Order: sequence, then structure tokens, then C-alpha cells
Amino acid sequence: MTSAMDQKSTQNKDAEKVIEKELSFGPVHPALIEPYRIRLFVNDEIVEDCEININMAYRGIEKLFDGLPVEKALLIAERVCGICSHVHAWNAVRVIEGGLGIHVPERADYIRVLTHEFQRITSHLIFFGHAFEVVGHETFAMRSFLLRESFMDLLQYLGGNRVMPSVPIIGGIRPRADLTEALKKVILERCDQFEVKYADYVRRAVEDPVVMSRLEGIGFMTKDEAIKWHATGPTGRASGWDYDLRKTMKEYKPFDFNVIVLPEGDTKARVVARALEVLECLKIIRQAVKNLPEGPVANRDWTAKEMKYTEAYDETYRGELMHSYSLDQQGLVRNYKIRTPTITNLAAMEQACIGDHVTEAILTIASCDPCLTCCTRAELVDNQTKRSRFMTEYEIVNKYGWRR
Amino acid sequence: MTLKSTSRKNAIHVMLFYSGGCNGCDIEVVNALLSPRYDLEQYGILLTWNPREADVLIVSGVVTWQMVEPLKKIYSLIPEPKAVLAVGACAVNGNVYKNLVGDIGENKEIWAPVETVIPVDVKVPGCAPRPEDIIAGAVKGLPKLMGAP
Repeated sequence: MTSAMDQKSTQNKDAEKVIEKELSFGPVHPALIEPYRIRLFVNDEIVEDCEININMAYRGIEKLFDGLPVEKALLIAERVCGICSHVHAWNAVRVIEGGLGIHVPERADYIRVLTHEFQRITSHLIFFGHAFEVVGHETFAMRSFLLRESFMDLLQYLGGNRVMPSVPIIGGIRPRADLTEALKKVILERCDQFEVKYADYVRRAVEDPVVMSRLEGIGFMTKDEAIKWHATGPTGRASGWDYDLRKTMKEYKPFDFNVIVLPEGDTKARVVARALEVLECLKIIRQAVKNLPEGPVANRDWTAKEMKYTEAYDETYRGELMHSYSLDQQGLVRNYKIRTPTITNLAAMEQACIGDHVTEAILTIASCDPCLTCCTRAELVDNQTKRSRFMTEYEIVNKYGWRR
Repeated sequence: MTLKSTSRKNAIHVMLFYSGGCNGCDIEVVNALLSPRYDLEQYGILLTWNPREADVLIVSGVVTWQMVEPLKKIYSLIPEPKAVLAVGACAVNGNVYKNLVGDIGENKEIWAPVETVIPVDVKVPGCAPRPEDIIAGAVKGLPKLMGAP
């Protein structure tokens, strides 16, 4: 009796067994600049499942914050990511400013927004460089790196460092990063020069039939899928989801800009959405420089005291970013938690490349603009399948909450 | 100068190994090598992703536990003579992740500096180092490659 049942169960197992081949890349691979591992489960060159394993870059960064004075914690917060360094420093500051009610001068807010938009442009241009290199068009990749240099220079003039400008401090900005009249002139000039070159670059890229035939019609993600898999930022907006946190932030109230929403939801839309967003950044930069209010740049009148667990959200270049921590009686940082946009975009990336040809999988993942080193926090391993998934949608919702 | 080193001079291949930092140095290295402004390629220094082809290994970032074995393996795959550049404060001394001004103590998650894993010839400090510094560091590593028999 039992043997018969055993036989039956083994037969069932054989029937359930799907013939699948695994293609794995990484952690060091020409197509992946950052250290991560992609496992593609393919059936006849069609991707059936995809898994991104990102725990290669785990640095234990949230643990480092524990027990530090809050000013020193900002030093580490800026070094969470090398592409979006300003927004991590800014958002870490916004937590304590919101929690303790520290007043920020208006001039400081303008300069923070200005730096934010500078880095948004440089980040999007890195994205073009990476995406076009994956496509195989090196000329466009190099041109985007050349265009990016003008804004890297501006970051250097502003903060003194190309990558880590360290503009925000608690209660304002560093006095070093204050805008002088000479720098205002340089910024406006650079913006004008950049806009002409950039418009030419984008026109050449979008009208090129060879490049666009490679991007068009792959990696589809509908609006419902984008919401279900928590795609944020330009990745979600390219699928027709009109959601931008900048429209709700008080720092962005004085500025007039549009949110780029495209309905298509394929890889081309994700590239074009970022291309159009750069032009909106230029709009904000010009407004910030022209309407810059006079006054002090920093409010030094604050002391660190006990603070409850507070959260701050910001729209970064890839999507929604959350920083949260609490302060204990001595004013030391406790329970730091960071959720970077790539964490929520990760599930969307995995889903977007299912059903496509295997050659397009890396391109689809690159088109979602992954920044995986800054998002490595924890890993979940499914005991039944022995597959490690970083975060599925339910875990994210259960652990950190979905929206505000 | 032997025939070997003369021919090698015109085709230095650089491999970038990214051991889990913050992306900043990584992009600056690619920038220094590829972007039209700094453009190391005009001097015959090329970026490659194949360790069997490489002469210079550029390591950036703190060495996380997961990346120790790949780093050793890739170092052993590069043929002699080879030079190793540690680029960025993380690779040189661990930067804020290792011990931020004496406050944190030991961080158990990382293996920085790179010296503890593989021998390093040139160190380029800075967070993030400027592309000019990276180019200067790459030039400093060249005599080791050229002087080899």
C-alpha cells in the first residue's frame, strides 16, 4: 500500500518537473557593472523566471548608524550611494528636521533643491550611458558621459567634490555651498549650453531607427502590473502611473514643473521618460537660480534631544526613498532604516523581463535603472524552493508599509 | 627595452573589479577611462572585462564578505606581470565603513583594506578620487609592467 503511494507520488513529481535551463551571470560580469547575480530560467530561449540576487554588496550600513551622534551619522548617510549621494544626505536631515521641528531657511531649501536636480541630471545621463552600452551603441554612451561632465563641474563648484558634494547639514546647508553671483551666472550659462547639446543628443537617439528597434516592444509592464509590483519613479511613470512625490513636498511648492507620464510601458518608454525628465530638471534649476531668496543659509539654533521614530520620504532619481530613525535621550541615532527605490523596483524588474527573449533580459533590467549596491539590506530564502528572493511585494508591505 | 615591453606599452588592458562600495569610485574610474574628457583610451589604455586579457586590476570599494573569493579568483586569473590599483578611500583604508573617526569600532561585514586580500601596488586615496588622480595612479603602476622581462 505504502509502496504504491510512493510510486504514485514520484510519478506526480516527474510530471510536475518543468524542463528549465538556468543562465546565471555575475557577480563579476561585463554586462553588470555592479556586483549582483542574475539567474534567468529559460525555456527555449524565452525567459520564464528571473531572479536577482543582490546580497554581494552587503556592508551592514544600518548597523553602523546605531549609537552615533546625529551629525556624524550624516557622513555615513551620504555614502550610502555614490550616484544619489545628495538625496541620502538631504533625506537623513529631513527626518530630524521633521521630528524636532527645526526651521530651515528658505534659501537653504532652494539650494538643496538645486543640488538635487543637478544630481538628477547626472544620474539620468549615467543611465543613458549604461543603457546604450548594453544596447551596444558606444557613441551615444560616450556622448552622454561628455554631457554629464558639465554638471559634474557645477557640483564641484558648489560643494567642492564631484561625487559627494555634502551640501545639507541639519538646519540648512553648509556655508561653503552658498550660491554666489558668479556661480549663478555660470549655472545659467551651463544650462543654456547643455540644453542645446542635450536636445541634439536626444533627437539623434530617439530618431535613430537602429537603436530604437532594439528598445521598442520589449519588457512590457502595464499600469496595473507597475502598481502591483511597486515600480516607483520613472519606471512606474513610464507605465502610465502618474505618481511623483515632488508634487507633494513642501520644498517643491514654489517651482513649476511637469511630471512626465508615458502610457506605453516598454523599454523605450522608460528611456524616453528619463530623457524628457532632464528637461524638467533644467526648468527647476533656472527657477531656483532666478528666484533665489536672500537670507541666512543655516539655522544653528537646535539641540539633539529624544525623538520618536520619524520617517521622511523623497522622490529620488529612481523612485521613492525612505529614511527613518529615532533619537535616544543622549541624542544618539537608533533604529536606522533605509528603503531605497531599487528595492521596490526590483520585483518590477524581475517581472518585466519574463516572456521576452533571453538577449533582452539584461537590457530590460538596465532600463529600470538599478542601483543595487545601495539597497542591500536583508535577504529572504524560501525553504521549499531554496531560491533566495530579496523582497517580494508582501514582505515589503508587511515590514515597511506600502505608501504613507 | 625588450620587444615584449615595447609591444605591451601600446596595449595596456585595465580590468575594473567592483567589490561593493557605493558606486561613486566605480563611475569615476569608468569616467576616467572612457569619457571623452579624460579619455585614457587615446594613450592605448583600454578597459576590458576579461581577466585573462588584463594587465592592471583596479579594485574599488570595500571588500564585502561575498566578494573576497571572486576577488582572489580574478587576481589569480590575471597573467604576470600585473599591477593592482586600490582606488578610493574604501579600498585604501575602509573609509567610513571600517571605522569612522574611531567611533564605530570593527565592522564585521567588510574586509577592507584590499591589501588584506591581495597585494596592492598603487593606492589612490580620495572619496571619490578625481579622474586625474586615477590617471596618475594608473601611470604609476606602469613601470612594474614595463620592467618585467
